[in-house]
Amino acid sequence: MADFEPKIVAFLCNWCAYAGADLAGVSRLQYPSSIRTVRVMCSGRVDPIFVLEAFKDGCDGVLVAG
Amino acid sequence: MTQKLFDLAGIGQERLHLAWVSSAEAQRFVEVVINATEVVKTKGKFDPNAFEYELAAAEMTLSGETLRWMVGKEVKITSKGDVYGRQWDVKSFETILDAVLEREYQKNLIYKAVKEGHTSVRDIHNKIGLDLKRISYLLADLEKTNKVEFTGMKDRIPVFAVL
Repeated sequence: MADFEPKIVAFLCNWCAYAGADLAGVSRLQYPSSIRTVRVMCSGRVDPIFVLEAFKDGCDGVLVAG
Repeated sequence: MTQKLFDLAGIGQERLHLAWVSSAEAQRFVEVVINATEVVKTKGKFDPNAFEYELAAAEMTLSGETLRWMVGKEVKITSKGDVYGRQWDVKSFETILDAVLEREYQKNLIYKAVKEGHTSVRDIHNKIGLDLKRISYLLADLEKTNKVEFTGMKDRIPVFAVL
C-alpha cells in the first residue's frame, strides 16, 4: 500500500481555490499529483450528485474547495 | 449532509473533503491537498462495484424531492418558523433532517434491492443487511407512495415488485 496513489477529484471555484492552485503552481510549491481538477464557476455549483458521479466512476476521494 | 450520507452508506465521510481557500492562499491550498491525499490514502482504494447499491440509493436520496425541499427550506424554517408558526432552532431541525436522511436512504436501498429482483423481505434483508422489521415498515411506506407494490404470495412469502 506504500505506493498507492489515490485518485481525488477536486472541484475548485474559479475565483478562490482555482486561483489559489494557479498561484501554487506559479510559486512552484510542491503538492501531490493525486488531484484531478474540475474548475467550476462557484463552489455552490457543485451538486452532491456530481460527487456521487465521481465516486461511481471510481475515484477514491472528492475535494470541494471554494 | 452528503458526508453524513456517506457514513450511512458505509463509504465513509473521510473520502469527501470540503475546504475554503482564497485565491491568495497558495500555501493553504497545498496543505489542503496534501491533507486530503493523506486521509484518502489511509482509506485505501474505492471500489464502486462493491458499493453499487449504496451509491444508487444515495443518488436517489440526494435527487429526491423530500431532501431537496427540506434543505432548501432550512434557513426559512429556522429563522422565521414553519407554516404552523412554530419556531425551530438549527439543532432540532438538523436532528429531524438526519432522521429523514436515514429513512429516505434506507427506503431507496430497499427500492433498489426490489428492483434488482430481491422480492421478499428476507431476501432484501440478506442483500442489504437492514433489520427485518424496519424493512417491512419501510416497504409499507413505499407501497403508500406507489413506488412498490405487493404482488401476492409465493410459498407463503409476500412478494413485492417496483412500480
